[in-house]
Amino acid sequence: MSRAILHACSVGLAALALVTGVVAPAMAQSPGAASLSPPGTWEVSGGGVLVGGYQLGERAAELTPNSGSTGFEQFTTDNRVRPAFGVQARVGFVVTPALSVEGGLRFTRPLYEVRVSGDAEDAPDTTVEEKLSQYVFDGSVVWHLAGAAFGGGRAVPFVFGGAGYLRELHEEDALVEEGLEYHAGGGLKWWFGDGRRRVGVRGEAGISIRDGGFDFKDAQRVVPTVGGSLIYTF
Amino acid sequence: MTRRSRILAVTVLALALAVPAGAYLKLGTRVGNRTESLRWRQFPVRYFITDSGVAGVTAMQFQAAVTRAFSTWHAVENIQISSTFVGFVQAPPFVDDGANVIGYLSRPGQDRTLAATTFTVDETDGRILESDIFFNTIFPWSTAEAGGTDRYDVESIALHEIGHLLGLSHSALGETELIGGGRRVIAAEAVMFPIAFTRGNIADRSLKADDIAGISDIYGTTTFSREFGSISGRVTKSGRGVQGAHVVAFNPKTGKLVGGFSLNPNGDFVIAGLEPGPHVLRAEPLDDGDVTSFFDDDFDVDVDFRVTFYERVVAVPRGGGTRDVEIKVTAK
Repeated sequence: MSRAILHACSVGLAALALVTGVVAPAMAQSPGAASLSPPGTWEVSGGGVLVGGYQLGERAAELTPNSGSTGFEQFTTDNRVRPAFGVQARVGFVVTPALSVEGGLRFTRPLYEVRVSGDAEDAPDTTVEEKLSQYVFDGSVVWHLAGAAFGGGRAVPFVFGGAGYLRELHEEDALVEEGLEYHAGGGLKWWFGDGRRRVGVRGEAGISIRDGGFDFKDAQRVVPTVGGSLIYTF
Repeated sequence: MTRRSRILAVTVLALALAVPAGAYLKLGTRVGNRTESLRWRQFPVRYFITDSGVAGVTAMQFQAAVTRAFSTWHAVENIQISSTFVGFVQAPPFVDDGANVIGYLSRPGQDRTLAATTFTVDETDGRILESDIFFNTIFPWSTAEAGGTDRYDVESIALHEIGHLLGLSHSALGETELIGGGRRVIAAEAVMFPIAFTRGNIADRSLKADDIAGISDIYGTTTFSREFGSISGRVTKSGRGVQGAHVVAFNPKTGKLVGGFSLNPNGDFVIAGLEPGPHVLRAEPLDDGDVTSFFDDDFDVDVDFRVTFYERVVAVPRGGGTRDVEIKVTAK
């Protein structure tokens, strides 16, 4: 397991622990049967998502020094992709009361930011940027933790994991960069009714491991994600 | 068909010869209302070597170094060029004899010119008909593998001059300092920078991104056109075009630098041969070399502005161009 993935898993467990940590005392106060959807139920959801940013690293505009001269940097850049809010939509299918599968789309427009400094001819430090359009088309397996339900069974924690296709477009769709995405995390569904047709809300936190797409390094990177959605089942 | 000879030189401290240039990175000639890039239309380029050596470098060693320099240009991916060494001749370079001759000449009057390239072109279409290169014997030369102590490296200077022979003009990707009435290079990131590194330095045996972008712009294959892109736009000051601004595209992912110039009073510039990806653009006045190293004497160059970065990252598409970039500079 690579260092990046190991770190990702640690973050994932931490996120899950946070969810179950909140859940545990509540579960003790409000025991009850979990409100799980029956097999064959479809579940659609839509809402917002916050996707974390990541560092791309520093890169200097270096010239080859003449004999007797030291290395020459015309200027230096510090590159990062900023966190961004976006939207997400999912369609799920309940296979068993505890298990469902779902497919979804996440769309965000993060800012790629370049801090330019140390110009050899004293140009003032500045920040230049562009907006990326980031799409993740993914599939997930969701496992509902019926035994940890609380709130009279209306609040059902879950864990999820899956993989997807990452597609990132630079401004004006000038360039497309593609990659793979793997994700894991946990969350909570709160139902406002019973039966096959009902509505609810869903919150989740997790990690997204990206392999490819817009990056300076040929390595996987990990970004945290937090989302919230409205759910409708039928 | 009309012909005209041109001369380009690489210098020790300062340029001694005026250099006509019609386009950024590339040499060009006016054909009606347009500029035609100078280029060879027939390959291989057949060249001869003058059968004479200098102290420390035999004619054979000289020929081997020149051939290695040609090979370095040939090795650029996605271009179509080739050359053939035909043989040694008694004729010196710089004779309008229809043959491409490379060799030594003594030019004590040009005490800041290490080497120079002439060529004869068909001004109706920019076709290069003949090109000669001379190396000035007043300087000490070496072909030693690790470079000769206190001697100029034949292969490095040949790589620069062959760049001219193939149609490239000078690059401004370098920093200099004034010294003893001339200029000394502090650092450069293009073999085609007009001022040579100091004696013993062999860093210019390898092409840089700027050189590769330039040669690919002239001789690129369809693969090059499909895989690389360009940035075009204007440099303006108070709403008016800035002519002769040096615009550099920096790829923060790869660290590569490729430069170009705004070439008309409207401030228009094009930088081609860029790898797809994000680029940071920087415009600077042309103040690290004699202006005549890059442009004709009658080409007005505006150097009264501050170094400026374009406020947006510019993404270069694969096989296309990003247009309408406007870099707004302010007067000093």
